[in-house]
Amino acid sequence: MASVAQNPREIASEVCVSPRLQASLTLDFARDEFARHTVLVASRQEPPLKVVRAFAVQDGAALAHLHNVSGGLLGGDRLALHVNVGAGASVQLTTTGATRIYRPRREALPTSQSNEFTVQQGALLEYVPDAIIPFAGARFSQATTIHLAQDAGLFWWEILAPGREARSETFAYDWVEMKTDVIALDQPIASERVRIEPRKRSAYSFGRLGPYRTWATFCIARVGPSAAGWLALEHELREKVLPRTKHGEILWGISALPAHGLMVRCVALHGRHVLPGLQALWQTAKRRLYGRDAVPPRKVN
Amino acid sequence: MDRNPANEALLQARVVADLRLLHLADSALPIGALAHSFGLESLTSSEVLTARDLPDFLQSYLEEAGTMEAVFCKEAFRLAGAAASENAFAASWVALNNLLSARKPARESRAGSASLGGNFLQVVLNLADLSLARTAVDASKRSASPVHHSTAFGLAGSLLGFAEDRVALVYLHQSVASLVSSCQRLLPLGQSEAARILWNLKPAIIDAANRGAACTLDDAYCFMPLLDWSAMEHPALNTRLFIS
Repeated sequence: MASVAQNPREIASEVCVSPRLQASLTLDFARDEFARHTVLVASRQEPPLKVVRAFAVQDGAALAHLHNVSGGLLGGDRLALHVNVGAGASVQLTTTGATRIYRPRREALPTSQSNEFTVQQGALLEYVPDAIIPFAGARFSQATTIHLAQDAGLFWWEILAPGREARSETFAYDWVEMKTDVIALDQPIASERVRIEPRKRSAYSFGRLGPYRTWATFCIARVGPSAAGWLALEHELREKVLPRTKHGEILWGISALPAHGLMVRCVALHGRHVLPGLQALWQTAKRRLYGRDAVPPRKVN
Repeated sequence: MDRNPANEALLQARVVADLRLLHLADSALPIGALAHSFGLESLTSSEVLTARDLPDFLQSYLEEAGTMEAVFCKEAFRLAGAAASENAFAASWVALNNLLSARKPARESRAGSASLGGNFLQVVLNLADLSLARTAVDASKRSASPVHHSTAFGLAGSLLGFAEDRVALVYLHQSVASLVSSCQRLLPLGQSEAARILWNLKPAIIDAANRGAACTLDDAYCFMPLLDWSAMEHPALNTRLFIS
């Protein structure tokens, strides 16, 4: 395993068997019919989670940057995000940078993050964060549930990096667990249960990532379009991404879900190729489903 | 030693049960298993997976997808005895299969699993009079819900009186044997080597079944992104031996 420079913040002899901190961020967005824009109508913020404000996006959406003012997640952190996107509203959520999962104290509890999204009738949620980077020794659990009402839409991706690659720290984390459920009209349409424990089961196995290191998953959904419409979009997106598929570097797979959406899978040797591909798919799918462009989020610090 | 007719009848029943379980797991059972590769065809045609890598791949398959399917097989097995009423059973059955559909991101593999499951349950119904299996088929039809192979196998195993642990083991064995059989048609893999690979996988099959027995649906993990990719890419193959 690669040697890792030790950050005093990351290691301590202190035993920590209770959560280091518990914090939640609750955001409630609504459509302002008079202004024809989405606004953040209510928020409850507990440090280190923070949203400074919601920015207006040219297509009438509200853009909010999810900050973690501690710079990342520490061992034992238990964070929760609750987002309600009101009827007809359009919200774009992103992070200000990669989500760093720091090396925990030896006896710390795992780091956990729970995300609960409700997308009301006719609303749209675009959740387009930067990558998650689990540092050496990290133990991270994320649980995400997304509820979609009639005609609700979703563009949701996650990118999981193998670690701090620039430091040759690849798959040095203890484990990462990601549970995701997308539920449309009370029916599950996408359900993922991912647990990667590189020391117990090699991530490089041909049954898992093989020679690739970065993994991304992208759910595109809208409650309403027919199965035939999703098949057509699957075909269109596959054609779109074909030039980006390069064996040994990056692979893209696209498939219709049981109903109401598509799932994209990407495996890549280097993370830098992933985001442009996701954005290209997002752009094409949003034009097809909503007749307007996807607007990549402005980043703030 | 005196012969005890009751013990002999019990022994006879167990032997018959074993033979029936073997029968239901046989690749010759007419459910269409030979027509599906579940993504292996595109994985091999793109040369991502070679015959040399096959043992490692199948080991991982059992640790991930195999364990997940074993969990659903077990849950289906337990549904039959747990439901308070036929209606409650039907609702739970449909929900279980819908959840498994949501766990399968690749369209063709999901449809393949549903095709095998539907055919399997129909074959079982032709062999034995199982009213709860009929209820399951009817409920799935009414709700346009799939019948997946692992859940159908678990339900039938329970209704036919097989032991729960045996059912998951046998399901996993036939499942991985079917993948090896697909690889014999896709890769330069001879019969002797295929037999050796399957022979050596027995401990991994047992591990997957044991893990599946201990897991809940919420903890039924499966991380096989390369197989997801290949199964998603299968519709784009120009020449195809398999449906999935």
